[in-house]
Amino acid sequence: MPITIHPPKPPRPLISDNLPSDDSDSDSDTSIGGVDLGLPPKKRLTQFTSSPYTGIVTPGEIITPDPQWMRGHGTYIPPQTTDITSSLAGTITRTNKLISVRPLRARYTPEVGDLVVGRIVEVQAKRWRVDVGSTQLASLPLSAINLPGGILRKRTETDELQIRTFFAEGDLLVAEVQQLFQDGGAVLHTRSLKYGKLRNGAFVAVSGMGGGGGVVRSRRQAWTMEGANGAGQIDVCLGVNGYVWISKHVETPAELEGGGKTAAGITNMEENVSATMYSSQNDKVDTETMREIARLRGVITALVENGLRVDEEMLNRGYHEAVEMAMVDWNGPDDIYLGGERGEMLAAALTGK
Amino acid sequence: MASQIHVNLSPAELAYLHASLSLTPPIRPDGRSPDQYRPLSAETGILPGTNGSARICFADGTEAIVGVKAEVEKTGRRWDDDTIFLEGGGDDEEGGDKEKGSTQQGGNKEWVELTVEIPGQRDDDSATVFLAQMLSEALLADGGFVERLKINRGWHWKLYLDILLISPPLSYPLPLLSLTTHLALLSTRLPRLKSEGDEDPFFDDDWAAAPYLYPRDKKARPPVTLLVMAVGNNIIFDPAKEELAVADVVLAVSVADVADRKGKGVEDEDMDVDGRKLKLLSIRTVDPPSRLTPPGVPNASNTAYGHASAGATQQKMPEARAVESEAVEGVWKAPRGGAKLAVMGALVQKVLQKGGVADEVLDALEAVDLS
Repeated sequence: MPITIHPPKPPRPLISDNLPSDDSDSDSDTSIGGVDLGLPPKKRLTQFTSSPYTGIVTPGEIITPDPQWMRGHGTYIPPQTTDITSSLAGTITRTNKLISVRPLRARYTPEVGDLVVGRIVEVQAKRWRVDVGSTQLASLPLSAINLPGGILRKRTETDELQIRTFFAEGDLLVAEVQQLFQDGGAVLHTRSLKYGKLRNGAFVAVSGMGGGGGVVRSRRQAWTMEGANGAGQIDVCLGVNGYVWISKHVETPAELEGGGKTAAGITNMEENVSATMYSSQNDKVDTETMREIARLRGVITALVENGLRVDEEMLNRGYHEAVEMAMVDWNGPDDIYLGGERGEMLAAALTGK
Repeated sequence: MASQIHVNLSPAELAYLHASLSLTPPIRPDGRSPDQYRPLSAETGILPGTNGSARICFADGTEAIVGVKAEVEKTGRRWDDDTIFLEGGGDDEEGGDKEKGSTQQGGNKEWVELTVEIPGQRDDDSATVFLAQMLSEALLADGGFVERLKINRGWHWKLYLDILLISPPLSYPLPLLSLTTHLALLSTRLPRLKSEGDEDPFFDDDWAAAPYLYPRDKKARPPVTLLVMAVGNNIIFDPAKEELAVADVVLAVSVADVADRKGKGVEDEDMDVDGRKLKLLSIRTVDPPSRLTPPGVPNASNTAYGHASAGATQQKMPEARAVESEAVEGVWKAPRGGAKLAVMGALVQKVLQKGGVADEVLDALEAVDLS
């Protein structure tokens, strides 16, 4: 069936009702220390009710006129009133007596130490400007990358002239936020063997935090998983900023030399790794791996479309569920499509409904 | 004409995409089969002030609204108006209106006014104008559409089609806009005519009695424009933005169902697929954004690659340019040259064949509940 057309869906119930309240893992409210509201969505507030309206609010909408509540993020109180008013479009979160509004969609706010996936949009004299899905472009100074060749050498004028041989416009890279400016702009660095240019895989951008879906900060943002159906190992890199890179796992020289022998020396290892650091030539990726990479990408999109968070645990479960679903599907395990109804089925299986 | 979507993908991504789309069967980034469309949600009759309207959303949030308004207008009479309205003109004295050939039986392309609005783009932007041209070309190509707008010899309907993309254009919006226009035209109703013959028109003010512009019991349907692309020998329908970025050739193919045209006396009532008579209205090539993508640098000529680069001080750029022209596996190179004729032929064939994509799309659009 090449095309499916559905009537529009009724508005989705809010996240706080969507997830079972006893499942503390999947309820994103608890992760920021809030208590679960556990209340059914109320009718729109009238002037005189004492408890605030729970649901989606828009900028300028009065949440409650009752002075017993405190205003939190995403709200303000206009002068000469006691009305807590929303300044965002989002859902209301109540933490004891504090009312805040969590935006439905928000841009990424960088924090020092975040692992981000970014795309070069501009090359300047001594630095790159990188799109990380934030309100401003992040900057990556030439002094914050590992220069090829491994040995710690001084940055020369030649490097400045050849700045495009390291990263050019459009290149994807994985980096870490090194410091923040006052205005929220981030400075990145790639001074680690884990970081650098990305290749051998596919990119998908999901919205960052907010609305319950999207990538959440967690213990591990990058890991290797086994592909099903005869595929090789697959690397997943979930940027905190919502940019995700899924690629074929390439053995690092350290791994190739055998796990026991890591005494290659730091400088030597760096030399080996940085050999491929600025390459834009893909290795050979076999068909099975490509298919599983596309399946993983589908799982991520399905998770986001159904308002679920994206992290290692969810993605592993989702991927195995998707493989199982494809097994019993009459199209066979090669069918990797996870849009529309199948995405909903997957999400339903994951949330246990 | 360029599709004007700025692609900013890295050469490694492009090479990977191209490799996965060239496999047989191709692996699309979102896992769809080559002729599968993104799932849509559609509704009609959303704008109460219009004669017909429709809204279509993709799952990724792209959304379009089309409204159709009709106005009664006096048909400009000319000294040779008999020939215009009866035989379709064809006189040399007709000035610039060259389109008015024998295929147009009493219609004029000025009777349809179509505007496209895309957020963030000027309405005289070349890409927007090109989109509007492609959509109106499909409607006007064979004069069958304007023929429906004729009331009598002195009067006709003037149709205003307002096509709005609500979301920012995440992918080339042509298929979305075309499907929405199709639905809006399907749901368009014009007041029932009470007067007869060539009198000044007088209409029934009962909206419930208003007939559809495309009667449900007849088989003719408004045109629909499909976006088709080819990578290698694979033909891919409804490409997403990243797929377009590696396309060898992109075509916009307009088809319409003309089953009960040309005075076909008997119309069987059942809506059988076999009864459909698809007619190819127009083909346009869309310049794929892939041609403007930056090439990848093979490792062999990459100065930042390998151990040799340790003290790489000398410029290797002359060699790099020389190597660029050869294809290296795993390195992206923008497609050059035109499309292969065989691929173009296969592409059109695949659209038009019985039970093919155009058939399925028209079926699916027909199943949408008109309100």
